[in-house]
Amino acid sequence: MTVFALIIINKAGGLIYNRTFHEGGLNKISTNDYLVLAGTFHGVHAITTRLNPVKNAPGDRTSTPSSVPGAANIVNRPEPSSGLEVLESENFRLQCFNTMTGTKFLLFTDTTQANVDVTIRRVYEMYSDYVMKNPFYQLEMPIRCDMFDRKLLSYIREINNR
Amino acid sequence: MVIYSFYIFDRHTECIYSKSWLPPSLSEAPPNPTPDGHPRPDRRSKAARAGDDAKLIFGTVFSLRNMVRKLGGDDDAFISYRTGQYKLHYYETVSNLRFVMLTDTASPSMRNVLHQIYINLWVEYVVKNPLSPVEHKGGEGVKNELFELGLDQFIRGLM
Repeated sequence: MTVFALIIINKAGGLIYNRTFHEGGLNKISTNDYLVLAGTFHGVHAITTRLNPVKNAPGDRTSTPSSVPGAANIVNRPEPSSGLEVLESENFRLQCFNTMTGTKFLLFTDTTQANVDVTIRRVYEMYSDYVMKNPFYQLEMPIRCDMFDRKLLSYIREINNR
Repeated sequence: MVIYSFYIFDRHTECIYSKSWLPPSLSEAPPNPTPDGHPRPDRRSKAARAGDDAKLIFGTVFSLRNMVRKLGGDDDAFISYRTGQYKLHYYETVSNLRFVMLTDTASPSMRNVLHQIYINLWVEYVVKNPLSPVEHKGGEGVKNELFELGLDQFIRGLM
């Protein structure tokens, strides 16, 4: 079980964090290629949201939250279709976690890695704790926070040595 | 397991075959909300929208395949991706013929199914057909009775 790399993409499709944890898992590509990859993925993610073949039937719209008191007055919207969540290839597996604000966490693991969604949520917690609470961090800009780097590295190392 | 649709793209990036198994109640959301759920005047025909979907699907698998090969090496192959609503399976032959299938999220890997379609249906009924052209411009030669019937039977057998 190995976690290869982590990429964080901001809501505009820019690469703001990129770290490799395990050499040899993925090909080495230049920072420029990583930027291109982040932008491409951002676009593809938007398209995969649109491609949803199952359309929401009108009956579905009002069915779910009727048990909540007072919910009858609220206009119910259908659950927005999510974009790409898991990508599988022969050599690796990519899990994508899209936050409410549109920041994307991409975790590259080997194909047998289990519980990646737990891992990725823990990474998101660390991001909220050590990046968002850092008063010197500028929103949407590349992440350069020592605390985040250290905590993330020790957490992933723990998983990779299991 | 539910199979939503199936596409074949040739090496010139053209969609040469597409088929949908969606029940009409699902594919045609009445009255106004269109594929993305936004109300929009339905000026364009259903066929035009299906063509747009095929283009979007090709763009997606093309980008993801290139991404996978860049990261995983030239021998790596893109297999599938899953969203909260559907799963897309991909199989590419050596001659750059691309088979794409959309299913529900719970279905297992359909790579072998796509491979079966390639060897048992495509090769048997399209490639070995002496009347079929080499290039399938506009789906020419693919839309023959045997292929379509075999495909429909095969897919319905899976569901």
